[in-house]
Amino acid sequence: MWGFQILEAPTLCSHSQLIGEDYMSSSTLTTKGTEPPATGPRVSTTPRHHRTRHAESRGAWILLAPYLALFLVAAAIPIGYAFWIALQKAPTLVNPASGFGGIDSFITVITDYRFSGTFINIFSVMIVWLPLMMIGIVGLALLVHASPGRFGSTMRFFYFIPGALSGIANFVLWVYLLHPTQSPLAPLWQEVGFGSLKEIVTDSNMPMILTGMLFFQGVGTWIIVVNGGLNGIPDEIFEAAKIDGANAWDLAWHIKLPLIRPWIGYAALMNLAYGFQLFLEPYLLRQISSGAIAGEWAPTQLGYAFAFTNRNFPAAAALSIILLVITLSIGVVIVMKSGLFGDEKEKKR
Amino acid sequence: MSNSAPNVVGAKHWTLGRIARITVMVVIAAAFILPIIGFIAMAFRSQEGVLAGTDGFLGLGGMSWDNVVFSWSQINGFGPGDGGLFTRWVGNSLVVAVIGGVLALVAALPAGYALARLRFRGRKVMLFATLLAMVMPNTVLVIPLFLEVNAIGAVGQLWPVAVIMGFFPFGTYLVYIHFMTTMPQELVEAARIDGLSEIATFFYVALPISKQVVALVAFFSFVANWTNFFLPLALLTSSQENKTISIGIQELIGASPLFNATVAAGLDVKLYMPQLALATFLSMIPLLIVFLTAQRFLIRGQTVGAVKG
Repeated sequence: MWGFQILEAPTLCSHSQLIGEDYMSSSTLTTKGTEPPATGPRVSTTPRHHRTRHAESRGAWILLAPYLALFLVAAAIPIGYAFWIALQKAPTLVNPASGFGGIDSFITVITDYRFSGTFINIFSVMIVWLPLMMIGIVGLALLVHASPGRFGSTMRFFYFIPGALSGIANFVLWVYLLHPTQSPLAPLWQEVGFGSLKEIVTDSNMPMILTGMLFFQGVGTWIIVVNGGLNGIPDEIFEAAKIDGANAWDLAWHIKLPLIRPWIGYAALMNLAYGFQLFLEPYLLRQISSGAIAGEWAPTQLGYAFAFTNRNFPAAAALSIILLVITLSIGVVIVMKSGLFGDEKEKKR
Repeated sequence: MSNSAPNVVGAKHWTLGRIARITVMVVIAAAFILPIIGFIAMAFRSQEGVLAGTDGFLGLGGMSWDNVVFSWSQINGFGPGDGGLFTRWVGNSLVVAVIGGVLALVAALPAGYALARLRFRGRKVMLFATLLAMVMPNTVLVIPLFLEVNAIGAVGQLWPVAVIMGFFPFGTYLVYIHFMTTMPQELVEAARIDGLSEIATFFYVALPISKQVVALVAFFSFVANWTNFFLPLALLTSSQENKTISIGIQELIGASPLFNATVAAGLDVKLYMPQLALATFLSMIPLLIVFLTAQRFLIRGQTVGAVKG
């Protein structure tokens, strides 16, 4: 139903990334054009100019005020508060008073017997999932790009549909797929010797199961992002390559792939950061496996346990800060180095 | 598909590479679509049919409206007394998703405009912070947010969830890009020469040309809010009445005899796979409606974005 109308659109758009990306590519290409010529009067020091600059600055901050307020409430203050909490002592039954504890809570977290395990778990998934994800994204995006017309856009739409089932809906879908008797894949599961959900959802199968869930849910969106990058390549480049005798394979391997490297890097880093914050899937897999999966399988779950099971808020805050530092570092690399957000405009100012 | 149709400009040939490409693409598409068809079919099947295994390919043969009516009575019967928790949870999701979306718009529109078209000290820092917040996975902040909300004693209430959802840096970024690409700086200069204040310029010049991006921001923030799981889990689990549907479905899973026979034995309603599939399917309908409503703008947004050529 919702598909058919957007199939006609030049770029399918029903997800944040893809619109962002499309706008993004257009912006980096157009800002040069729309930017007014950098004229001298900016540095002028006449009193009148000072006044307008002042009015402009004040206007800007008034316009930013609601956003700034939400930024404080939903990001800055909780981060600062988490830092402060992390430096407190956890109250215990013997000594209910809390106070300044220095880095004790960080030591508690890092020396927790589950801490390193949660990161090993995450890496065990990423080692399977990230390469498959990147091959899937780039491979399918190139295939879609090599198929102009309605066939290509129909396929792209089909690849995107699972992405619309995000979060819990994707999870329930996978419970259905993994169920050893009720799934359409049931014959396969029984062939391999899985008789119950508990036999399928085990620690050793976690990398495969999570890879399946994350790939299914995420690949379509990223195909569209990378496809947006491919669509930004001027046709003349392909024409020139064809005149030089390049076939479809040469085009994909030697021309398209190097040109979309920024998008590939962006996708890889975003997915890497995503891996560190997995929560929903392992949390719910524990629930359907009658506890076969540890309750503190992922780092976020360990933080959740510190906060809600142990009521050790300093430790929960310390773990959040560790995760925050990791994902923020990846974020800084994405924003500064991917080349997708870097606007020449900024440097000109 | 249209590939085999004779082409006037120059017939394409079915080369080996072409056949391989199309086969791979179609097989992968089938692997993506068939599970979803089977899952939707599951919402229309009965537990008896599922157990008997007589519903045919993907269970399509076992679909009936009566099954839906029965499954709904089970879903709707979940909860204390006469049940009704499911609709209550959907209502809560609507409240937080809509309020969060409205807040996101109120904040993102002026902020994105100011970042795109006004010069002021701190602009670069704000832009960088916005980009960073945008690419950062949002569940990392959930525990700090929980600590904050806990400190003011508002855990279990809906309003903090809605307010937190209102912070939507991706929306601000979309608005920023929108004004960067569609509103020339000259327009701002002209408004200034005409004596409009910066605020008035935003309201009378910028806002009227931002219908497009309003639809985009509203759509994306609604979807993000509706599917958010960890935030409501941390903030609302303590209150059965105030859960959102995403964590509500988790509770339905937990009450299913498929996964937890002891809990399920104490319940009047039986939530097997068809009921879980129907509950999931129903929980997606608001997203579908929002998508259909916003679609017109989403497509036109593309044409606006297409000025790159």
